[in-house]
Amino acid sequence: MIALVDCNNFYVSCERSFNPALENKPVIVLSNNDGCAIARSNEAKALGIKMGTPYFQLKELIDRHDISVFSSNYTLYGDMSARIMSTIGRFVENVEVYSIDEAFLDLAGYESTYPDLTALAKEIRSTVLRWQRVPTSIGMAPTKTLAKIANKLAKLNPDHQGVYLLDSEEKIQAALESYDVSELWGIGHRYAAFLKHNEIRTALQFRNLPDDWISDNLTVNGLRMAYELRGTPCKMIETEAASKKAICVAPSFGRMVPDLKTMSEALSTYIGRAAEKLRKQKTAAGVMTIFIHTNRHRTSGNNLPAKQYYNSRTVELPHPSASTSELIAYAQEALKSIYAFGYNYQKIGVILTGFVPLDFQQGSFFTNLPDERLLKASLAMDKLNERFGRDRVRVASAGYDPTWKHRQQFMSPQYTTRWKDIMKVY
Amino acid sequence: MMIAISDYIDPADIVKASIETRYEIPFFSSYVQAGFPSPADNYLEKVCDLNDLCVTNAESTYFVRVTSDSMIGDRIEAGDVLVVDSSREAVDGKIIIAWYSGGHTVKRIHYAGDMVILMPSNTKYEPIYVHPGDDFRVFGVVTFVIHKPL
Repeated sequence: MIALVDCNNFYVSCERSFNPALENKPVIVLSNNDGCAIARSNEAKALGIKMGTPYFQLKELIDRHDISVFSSNYTLYGDMSARIMSTIGRFVENVEVYSIDEAFLDLAGYESTYPDLTALAKEIRSTVLRWQRVPTSIGMAPTKTLAKIANKLAKLNPDHQGVYLLDSEEKIQAALESYDVSELWGIGHRYAAFLKHNEIRTALQFRNLPDDWISDNLTVNGLRMAYELRGTPCKMIETEAASKKAICVAPSFGRMVPDLKTMSEALSTYIGRAAEKLRKQKTAAGVMTIFIHTNRHRTSGNNLPAKQYYNSRTVELPHPSASTSELIAYAQEALKSIYAFGYNYQKIGVILTGFVPLDFQQGSFFTNLPDERLLKASLAMDKLNERFGRDRVRVASAGYDPTWKHRQQFMSPQYTTRWKDIMKVY
Repeated sequence: MMIAISDYIDPADIVKASIETRYEIPFFSSYVQAGFPSPADNYLEKVCDLNDLCVTNAESTYFVRVTSDSMIGDRIEAGDVLVVDSSREAVDGKIIIAWYSGGHTVKRIHYAGDMVILMPSNTKYEPIYVHPGDDFRVFGVVTFVIHKPL
């Protein structure tokens, strides 16, 4: 059996964890830059707020219903996620952290402890509720795809009290019969429309289609899904996280930025972030792409569309590198070559790819190997920043007063990671 | 010294050692006699870490700062940092952190029937009587007080 543990409205639950005044009230969390709603409490969902609605469209509703609004506090959410995953790991050995708020658990061997799987899931749920004050839903089934469905049932039906086990063919059939095929894990808009067109509406109908038809029309991925729905596992629990294939850092500026100096300071900071991620996963990047663009939706003073500019430059590095200062040197050259004067830029981004393991690097014939000292300096920088706070030590070209930093008007305290932000008690 | 044939190691079996994973190794105070032991060997224990002392359950431990003198009788003063463990049960008589009508408070908890009493240890403050249905929930049990002397 496989379990899927999913934190309910995770970002909202993290805010509530330290501020119970938000319980039973509509709460939303905004995306980076306070752009749009990315998490909603059930009360906010009931008011009709959809995922991804821009903040400015919600202002009236927010005032009318006294909705609490938060900027996304990823430091807090990340720490709470780590605590929750670690707590789950105390119960079950094989845990695949699938996303910040979801984990698959391999339940093989736990069938008769606690004394059964439902009791185990209830114990996990109540522990996370007490230790991190975050409500979860737990679905259990023979495969990942079915566990995802069981999870949804656990969440939707209050009778299940957050835990649901799909352990018999009758239960699975009943669940699939009322499950909309477009809601299936891995079915995109296009396939959903295609299936509807062919009169296939429920997950049960989909599961009972002939294999040939599925693989002809929905490729091998569709077939895998059908097998998973029939109870044959095709997606395994992956506890060793695969290294990321690419790292991208490209937040929008909080305001329009016209000048090269500010842009290049932002770039240095983003490279710092990306390189930190690189070193964390113990890889070096061989290829770097820098891109810049203006705001496509902006109009100029006379209501005509504003002048637009987009450009990017991909640099193949002479040797893979994970050193911040080395990467910055190449990035700045790339930026200079694509920067055009006279535009208001909305975004600069960096994408690192072509990864090799950090401890295995090949020197090519005509270039020198990376400077070991630079890498050591970068690693020391990471340690200092970990200890004294983000960006405390940075490369000088990252500038001093980052006015381009993005907007976070409604940020809650970093209750668990910053001493001056810890909760106050009277 | 001769190297016996059985000591031969196939190059394929030589792997690079990794120090990525750290294991806690139990320390034994008795030593094996081999040559002249260093007298310091007996004392090679791990450096004391405050986390080992104050944080027994990292996943459920939080730090909070005191802003009032309501618990002065228990030597908890304004400005102190409290170590709070949410996994501990708030049994009668423990100093706890609780959410009560709009704020978090540090008090000693007592149970009286279906009522909860939050006791301050400063006569300037009144006990808080929590009735069923009140806006109340326990955050965790205070396990350590970090106080900076004047």
